[in-house]
Amino acid sequence: MTTCTTFWRTCRRCGSAAVVAAAFALGTFAAAQSGADAWTTYHGDYTGQRHSTLTQIDPANVHQITLAWAFATGQTAQIKATPILASGVVYITSPDHVWAIDARSGHQIWHYAYPANEGFHIGHRGVAVYKDSVFFTTPDAHLVALNANDGKVKWNVVIADAKKGYWSTNAPLLVRNHLLVGVAGDFDNLPGILTSVDPETGQTQWVFYSTPPPGTPGSPSDNATGGQMWMTGTYDPQQNLVFVGTGNPTPVLNGPARAGDNRWTDSILAIDPDTGRLAWGFQATRHDTHDWDAAEVPVLVDGSFNGAPAKLVMQASRNGYFYVLDRTTGRSLLTKPFATANWATGIDQDGRPIPNPAKEPARDGRLVAPDESGGTNYRSPSFDPKMGLLLVSSHDAYGIYFFRPDHGAYGWAGADYGVFGKSALRAIDYRTGEIRWSHDLGEGASGAGVLTTESGLTFTGDTAGNVMALRTSDGATLWHSGIGRVGNSPITYLLDGRQYVLVGGGASLFAWALPETR
Amino acid sequence: MRKRVSNLAESVGAVVLVHLFASGALAAPQPPTAAQLQTGQRVFTAQCGFCHGRDAMGGETGPDLTKSPLVRDEAAGDRLRAVVRDGRVDKGMPAFRLTDAELAAVVAFVRDQKVKAESPGARRSVSVADLQTGDAEAGRRYFNGAGRCAQCHSPTGDLAGLAARLQGLQLLQRMLYPSSGRAAKVAVDLPSGETVRGALAYRDEFTIALTDDAGRYRSWPAPQVKFKVENPLEAHAEQLGKYTDDDMHNVLAYLQTLR
Repeated sequence: MTTCTTFWRTCRRCGSAAVVAAAFALGTFAAAQSGADAWTTYHGDYTGQRHSTLTQIDPANVHQITLAWAFATGQTAQIKATPILASGVVYITSPDHVWAIDARSGHQIWHYAYPANEGFHIGHRGVAVYKDSVFFTTPDAHLVALNANDGKVKWNVVIADAKKGYWSTNAPLLVRNHLLVGVAGDFDNLPGILTSVDPETGQTQWVFYSTPPPGTPGSPSDNATGGQMWMTGTYDPQQNLVFVGTGNPTPVLNGPARAGDNRWTDSILAIDPDTGRLAWGFQATRHDTHDWDAAEVPVLVDGSFNGAPAKLVMQASRNGYFYVLDRTTGRSLLTKPFATANWATGIDQDGRPIPNPAKEPARDGRLVAPDESGGTNYRSPSFDPKMGLLLVSSHDAYGIYFFRPDHGAYGWAGADYGVFGKSALRAIDYRTGEIRWSHDLGEGASGAGVLTTESGLTFTGDTAGNVMALRTSDGATLWHSGIGRVGNSPITYLLDGRQYVLVGGGASLFAWALPETR
Repeated sequence: MRKRVSNLAESVGAVVLVHLFASGALAAPQPPTAAQLQTGQRVFTAQCGFCHGRDAMGGETGPDLTKSPLVRDEAAGDRLRAVVRDGRVDKGMPAFRLTDAELAAVVAFVRDQKVKAESPGARRSVSVADLQTGDAEAGRRYFNGAGRCAQCHSPTGDLAGLAARLQGLQLLQRMLYPSSGRAAKVAVDLPSGETVRGALAYRDEFTIALTDDAGRYRSWPAPQVKFKVENPLEAHAEQLGKYTDDDMHNVLAYLQTLR
């Protein structure tokens, strides 16, 4: 294994910051992770940059890539999960299902089906791996440990009470001996919880609450519940801090029931993975009344800001604003819209947009941008460090939002309807927030995440069902294939000297590579 | 916590229900049994609840199925199975594999929820009365002036009697973006010099397609032909960034006078 002297750059050069996880934890998988032949965590590494150092496929030859293999899940559910690759095996999921696939041939090694249950089957993000275990969250908010060799259940623990309204789609984040598991649930007024589980035993190590658990004196969240941490966080080993985005407050559209900022909903939080203690928090949307989770990936970058070296965390948030923070303090450095947003009257001294009260849901309806699906959503952006660009699938959309008192103060508590939207891939210069280029992706919301590679390629999908490779420097299209709507965030790896790009189209997983050479 | 499933048009869920209720085999002529309602609730919660709400009264992205005017309009047809089992992936609705019994149970559950939704204190509805805050005269001026509505529409022409056909939320949605309105047209100039015209059938970055007057679908690689699209809906999309909320309510008030 390569010795990493500094985390951010060196380990990306190693091919995967999962090397770090391997160094601390991965035991039997370690051999597979000393090169670029692995994608062992949801983001591919701890930074969340989803940027690969691989250069075999480049702008000059990408038009030649061909289908290496395709795997059809046979389910109706679209693949929304990031494939995980460890020891030559790809793990892919949909709700209630895990498949282990040979990364060379695409043939199924095993398939695990979780028993029928009543949780929401809306999507699934993927698994985590540790030693010879594969970890899988379920619609009824359990965490199941499977034997990586055969898919047999090792143990099954309850993370949250599905009868109260929790569910999980989460790809857990492994940090040393902590498996951080998030849940969702905003059809009910439930406190936001992030659970750290021992990956060996399944025992709970700690639970972090983003909004107060029942019985908390006072009202630090102004009577709001919610703030679920349903997306996979990022991690800085030097700070020993996990960065995670929190979801919207509940009741969702009823603002008067929770007057105030509603901390820590719609926030970027820095949490000690050993204790679950909050180091700092930054609220992307205070007093959200539009379902604008800040659950999007908090991308970690060691870059420069205002001419000085800086440890940064940045997020293109669902509310349509791009944020850059100093991740050592949580202090705001930059706040700027990247998608159409008409709900704020300005930016406050702390870098938070100031909500316009006139755009809160009302009895007669308010026309608001973004709509509830947001200026972007959970599919990953990608950061190209050489170009200093964050590539974000963006959505310019309007919705109409309604609330009247008899809608109550529980769960959704209001009504909203999307009106019209269109999508574009935007390249944001992280130092200024300026849009370097914007590539139209069509009407509606694109479901695709983004992958960039060191050779200067950007992979993503449009709203019509094409996967495409763009030139990162200017957004020009270099290759495409109509595979059905891309619902996940692409990954790439090198195996037997051949670079593969994996992307989900519909309910199938497609592996692309340059033609075989003999 | 609403995960993007792309914009699910109001009509999608409504169409499902139209056919749910219209399908003869699924019309549930008998009062549902408790067991059937329980099954329907279980299936609906797991498969439909995220988008349409656990109670079918609207959830993440999907519309309130108990309030859809189209649900009440029990038009004939049995496309239910096709819509549910094939989905409408382009509009964000996935396909579902339900047995006939499960489908019937879901219908029974939604019908039961419809009854509950019509009881006092129901959640998340938008009534016609809620939308009466506009000034019709100001709306008329906006229609003929800043809104540029009169460039395409006429109160005595295409909009005559509009308020008799559409009310409340449905009218507001159609006003803002009539997604089922007039189709876009396209003229494609071929390398041969021929120009082909028709209704825009498909368009992405790579392919342009139309349906010609004979009903034939024709497509070309977009970079290899010249084409011009005339889409009357573009003006509606553009206007969304210009309306104040008052403008929106005023124009709605004006349209409500067109009976």
